[in-house]
Amino acid sequence: MSSTGGTLIRQAVKEAKPVFSATSEDARRRVLNLYRAWFRQLPYIIREYDVPLTLPMCRRKLRENFEKYRQVNDIRVIDLLVAKGQMELVETAHMWKQKTHVMDYFKQTVSPKPTDFLGKFFDGKEP
Amino acid sequence: INPQHLQPVAAMLGRIASARRLMAGAASARVRAFSAPAAASAAASNKIEVFVDGNPVQCDPGMTVLQACALAGVEIPRFCYHERLSIAGNCRMCLVEVEKSIKPVASCAMPVMKGMRVKTDSPMTRKAREGVMEFLLVNHPLDCPICDQGGECDLQDQSMVFGSDRSRFTDNLHDGKRATIMTRCIHCTRCVRFASEVAGVEDLGTTGRGNDMQIGTYVEKLFRSELSGNVIDLCPVGALTSKPYSFTARPWELSRVESVDVMDALGSNITVSSRTNEVMRVIPRLHDGINEEWISDKTRFAYDGLKRQRLVAPMLRRSGNLTDSDWPDALHEVARRLSASRESPDQTAVLAGPFADAESLTALKDLVNAAQSELVCTEEAFPGCTDLRSAYLMNSRIAGVEDADLVLLVGTNPRYEAPVLNARLRKCWLHNELLVASFDLSYTYDHLGDSPETLLRLADGSHPFAKTLAAAKRPLVLLGSEALCRPDGRALHSAALQLSELLRQKMKAANPEEADWRVFNLLHRVASQVAALDLGYRAGPESIRAAKPRLLFLLGADAGLIKRTDLASDAYVVYIGSHGDNGAAIADAVLPGVAFTEKNATYVNTEGRAQQTRLAVSSPGAAREDWKIVRALSELAGAPLPYDNLNQVRARMAQIAPHLTRYDSVEEANYFSQCLQLAKSPGDAKLDAAPIRLSLMDLPDFYMTDAISRSSLTMAKCVQAASKPTKY
Repeated sequence: MSSTGGTLIRQAVKEAKPVFSATSEDARRRVLNLYRAWFRQLPYIIREYDVPLTLPMCRRKLRENFEKYRQVNDIRVIDLLVAKGQMELVETAHMWKQKTHVMDYFKQTVSPKPTDFLGKFFDGKEP
Repeated sequence: INPQHLQPVAAMLGRIASARRLMAGAASARVRAFSAPAAASAAASNKIEVFVDGNPVQCDPGMTVLQACALAGVEIPRFCYHERLSIAGNCRMCLVEVEKSIKPVASCAMPVMKGMRVKTDSPMTRKAREGVMEFLLVNHPLDCPICDQGGECDLQDQSMVFGSDRSRFTDNLHDGKRATIMTRCIHCTRCVRFASEVAGVEDLGTTGRGNDMQIGTYVEKLFRSELSGNVIDLCPVGALTSKPYSFTARPWELSRVESVDVMDALGSNITVSSRTNEVMRVIPRLHDGINEEWISDKTRFAYDGLKRQRLVAPMLRRSGNLTDSDWPDALHEVARRLSASRESPDQTAVLAGPFADAESLTALKDLVNAAQSELVCTEEAFPGCTDLRSAYLMNSRIAGVEDADLVLLVGTNPRYEAPVLNARLRKCWLHNELLVASFDLSYTYDHLGDSPETLLRLADGSHPFAKTLAAAKRPLVLLGSEALCRPDGRALHSAALQLSELLRQKMKAANPEEADWRVFNLLHRVASQVAALDLGYRAGPESIRAAKPRLLFLLGADAGLIKRTDLASDAYVVYIGSHGDNGAAIADAVLPGVAFTEKNATYVNTEGRAQQTRLAVSSPGAAREDWKIVRALSELAGAPLPYDNLNQVRARMAQIAPHLTRYDSVEEANYFSQCLQLAKSPGDAKLDAAPIRLSLMDLPDFYMTDAISRSSLTMAKCVQAASKPTKY
């Protein structure tokens, strides 16, 4: 009885295994590194993909995508996000993407889905 | 005595009993036979024990071996046997081995005997089935790939399970005959029995004997029945198939949705099968309380009306003509009119038609009430007071007619107003009932008269039939809603109520244990009426004519009861509905709604049972669900209704009438004496001497009664065929 109880408690308070970073400073460093890497890549992306974007537009978008996760403070989640961001960067830099995939960050042709009743009614699509 | 000798005799007795029942149908003799409850109570005490594959089963005496096996959980293969038809015993597929019997016995016709040991999976049984199967397939064409029944064919399924893998007959005669599908017939005679027992049309029969037997009408003749389509479901093979459905789809490609019919007020349970967003067919679903397993031909075949004459875009009348518009334009225009008409009271009105669902009725009532008006009306008139539900419901329920021993039909022809109810009445007439009516039914009846005064004479006892009526143990009065549309409808309603109340009191005094038997019943014609009255709609368009409103909403109202001359000169008419019928023609704005197969909606049938239709196919073009149109309109007019989705509308519906969301349960209605007082209160209503005339009197009248069936090509063909004078 006591042994199983002890196991349960040990499981409950067990330290989560870190993905990459041990401390939040560590995680922050990784985030900033990723940001910097993207920032430096932006001029090349514009040139190589021949997209109708300016550097300030891309920088704003970059910042926007990082700001989206500002409230995340779980280190493991931050690490995974950084890993995914890294993969995206590699795919973009290696020209594994096409022009549309880069433009997809900007969602210029996507109209927002209506959320109110009347909008949905005129739209004709069921929620 | 050796039980072996007994068995054939008992079997023969069973056969004679069923033959006698058949004869009763054939000879149209009136039968007032056994009383069912007494037989049931006697049976409870002396159950018979039989053994099915060694397992003991307790069954009632008189049960067949096949039923006993079903009790034990063993399904015996069968073709000719059908629960709701008499026993024929001619397909021999249900042969089973019974211990101490030399030959296998036909289990569908053999009554159980004490200690009988049935073997359903013995070598003898299996060999018998295989042999029967082999004979059935001797002359059966092997055209399953092009047969409509393929995939849902009993013969196909059973030959897979019980048949042999090859035939020993090499001389079969499949040469060029496969196109005529009666070559597929296996002579089960289910269709013949259905025609004579359920439909009451004696035209189908057999000619020839043995291998040369043919099912047919002897001479070329129409199978004149409003229930004819049911033989398609009954036929175990592909001999009788649906003509509109033929060669259009395969059963495994169809998606099925369990829904409810709205062609009459019974709310028969149906399955809507669709493919590629198109309704391919409608077939019945079992519901013992409503339709058993039959549906009327209008229910089954009018679905092609859902594809024609549909409204697919909002329309506005510009310089005299209706022109296509879009939703924002059309709704803003109507909302502008609504904002103007709600300035003064009773300037906005609603007229609801036969297919209006409870959700849209609720939304429109809320909209119009918010616009200071109480003018919410239905097309179908109902003269009496609707405060007590017992005044306008089929109080004893549809299944209740089985317990009645006398039914008095007043101003109704159930054969065409509610064919499935009529089938049930006919069933009870065959087995345990006496019926009284004044119209052409599929069974005999006493015609008491066609004048409304007959009711009064029945009540005061001066009519010769009054004595029979008073002697009835469980009488029913079934009043038709069409008769109530007469000018003296109110007096007729109160006379029928009075007679029912009189009978009820008399019955209560005679045997107090029957105290909650309900005598008074109302049979509605349209699917929307009960829900509308439950929600507080006024019946009949009179109050609209009197008030001359400036804005009128027609919710699928196509009967043409309100003309432009009945409204204010600058009146604006808005039509919300699925079909471009009479209502849309007089409208200034047409807002396309959806039909019952395209929405999840609530309908309440004539006995007060709330049921749901289910979305089977998506709506055509720009059509929207009716309640959503109303909701959108309310928002554009500046006073949005407080519900955005189906659950919220239903919550609102439940606030007004809670039973509307208790699906498939019947809320009982009572207070008959108070109901009678309310009905009598004006006092001066006089009965008219004119005889009652109904609109649905003959088969051609039955097929086209509403916007959907009027748009249906199949129904038009039915009218044409039924109107042709018959040669024989």
